[in-house]
Amino acid sequence: MSTAAAAQSFNGNLKASSLFFRISLFIKALAGIRRIDLEGLKWRVFDAKGQVLGRLASHISTVVQGKDKPTYTPNREEGDMCIIINAKDVCVTGRKMTDKFYRWHTGYIGHLKERSLKDQMAKDPTEVIRKAVLRMLPRNKLRDDRDRKLRIFADSEHPFGDRPLEPYDMPPRQVREMRPRARRAMIRAQKKAEQQEQGTTNTRKGKKREEMEPESA
Amino acid sequence: MNKKEVFKLAKGFRGRAKNCIRIARERVEKALQYSYRDRRNKKRDMRSLWIQRINAGTRQHGVNYGNFMHGLMKENIQLNRKVLSEISMHEPYSFKALVDVSRSAFPGNKAAVPPKKEGLAILV
Repeated sequence: MSTAAAAQSFNGNLKASSLFFRISLFIKALAGIRRIDLEGLKWRVFDAKGQVLGRLASHISTVVQGKDKPTYTPNREEGDMCIIINAKDVCVTGRKMTDKFYRWHTGYIGHLKERSLKDQMAKDPTEVIRKAVLRMLPRNKLRDDRDRKLRIFADSEHPFGDRPLEPYDMPPRQVREMRPRARRAMIRAQKKAEQQEQGTTNTRKGKKREEMEPESA
Repeated sequence: MNKKEVFKLAKGFRGRAKNCIRIARERVEKALQYSYRDRRNKKRDMRSLWIQRINAGTRQHGVNYGNFMHGLMKENIQLNRKVLSEISMHEPYSFKALVDVSRSAFPGNKAAVPPKKEGLAILV
């Protein structure tokens, strides 16, 4: 029903190929919903735009396990449905974009494969968050059910618009003070940028600017 | 124990452990050891579960477990964790009152503003 509604809403806007792509994404997003008992579960929306990957995944994993409810029971699965949007805009600190590798072994001798975060984001940005959250969940029989409750979308559109959604407010992040070397490098870069700007503006209308400045100051 | 008692205790075991005396005796001995150990572990597990529930309940109001208990100790409220977890599950308004008492006694979580909710309707 909701896929038909999505198709109708998209009919006039997009090309055929992207339309099919979106519908296939939405079908995948709706898969397996009947397996979850949706009585009394909330639908929480996480906006991953500008959030740090691990910190976001840690909050998602607490919500998916149901650990933010006082009725938490370890043998029953009562976490809320989590919808994560803007998965392609999730940030990482340091050099993890190029240096964080996802590794897996295929089982054949010598076949240890690896893929960097950059390639994974190019290939499928939802997998980054999904792996991060799954690896934070306890490895027990409820892990697959919790995986089914995660619906991750690379951009900000999702087929669950008709449900009662609740946005999740991320707690403000305590950003660590910059290390001295990094701070000096940043100051140098800022100064360089300022000098370049001033240099270009001075050479353009040098005399007029010099006349203007003492007048204004 | 004689065989009859062993087999009585071995009901529900897997494979030959419920039928053949030699295997059943071993498994039953192990089961009794586990039950001895777990009678003590159960007390620990239950307390841990109460603490998790209290933590979840207080974080809904912007206070974490540690500061909450510190505040209660300061006010000399001697409710134990079992009762507190039951209150947090079934009596949300009373629990909010307790959280407020604790917060007034020990204002530890000023940075974490309790999430704005319309009235107390969205507590549970």
